[in-house]
Amino acid sequence: MLGATDDEGTPMSEVATVIAGWGITFVVLATYSIWVVLRGKSIGQELGIGGIEQSDLGKDTSATADS
Amino acid sequence: MTAAAKSGAKMTATPITRVLGVSALAATAVMAVLGLVVSPPDVVQGEAVRMLYLHVPSIWIAYGGFALTSISSILFLWRSGRRADQGRHYDRLAGAAAEVGVVFTAITLITGMLWGKVTWGTYWQWDARLTTTVLLFVTYLGYLALRRLPAEPTVRSRRAAVMALISFINVPIVHFSVDWWRTLHQKASLSVGRRPEITGEMYWTLLYSALAVTVLATWLIIHRYRVIRLEELRDEEGLEALIASRLNKDVGSH
Repeated sequence: MLGATDDEGTPMSEVATVIAGWGITFVVLATYSIWVVLRGKSIGQELGIGGIEQSDLGKDTSATADS
Repeated sequence: MTAAAKSGAKMTATPITRVLGVSALAATAVMAVLGLVVSPPDVVQGEAVRMLYLHVPSIWIAYGGFALTSISSILFLWRSGRRADQGRHYDRLAGAAAEVGVVFTAITLITGMLWGKVTWGTYWQWDARLTTTVLLFVTYLGYLALRRLPAEPTVRSRRAAVMALISFINVPIVHFSVDWWRTLHQKASLSVGRRPEITGEMYWTLLYSALAVTVLATWLIIHRYRVIRLEELRDEEGLEALIASRLNKDVGSH
């Protein structure tokens, strides 16, 4: 890649870019992960298969709970 | 107990996926330490090189996700008639992998734009790599939209499978665009059969980052697969309830 030629290519802007890039990435991944987990919980509750936590431990093999 | 519960439906987590989820969280935390603290700045790019550890693994995961979508789609088209579930398993896997692929393509585009601003002086350039990547993103968004169109489930899955196979044609074009055309984008940092462009701590941090996001993507695909299954069960229950209420209405009116 070429080096930056404008004023925004200073070390400070490099640090700001890195913080923005990593920050946005973690926010996107965290938001998507939480959305997937909460959607599973919400639909599971609608279907009446939520809260069967013990099943994971082998007490009931018919369903498992979410986290 | 609902029909879904009686059928042995599972919610989205099992002990194994919990362990995988915790591992993904820990792996990404270590990745942040390696990428932001341990790995040294580059001689030419300085601190901006730290974008490498997000940008490159993200597109690898996107390629992997889209490859999984294609393989699942082929299996759906090939085997759906022979399976008791009419290939729903393959269809769900295709949908889950595509969605995760789209998320990681978005991350690739965002981190690439930020990185480009520092190194090229511009967020965007309509060169071959960037253009084909944004086309890949839009195509798979279309694929996900197609999966949501109202239609008979098997017909919808078949249409989606065909579109997945057409969409995948762009993946090798994106990857080799930097070799086939003159572009602003640099060539691949790591390639099979070619000496790596980077070495030492940067090389190992990049490989570790790829491993960490692979664990995270695996966890996401498994969870999304299970959520798709729950969505299908909910739709089926809704349909059954609607039919039952219509039948009751008809009986009552006679």
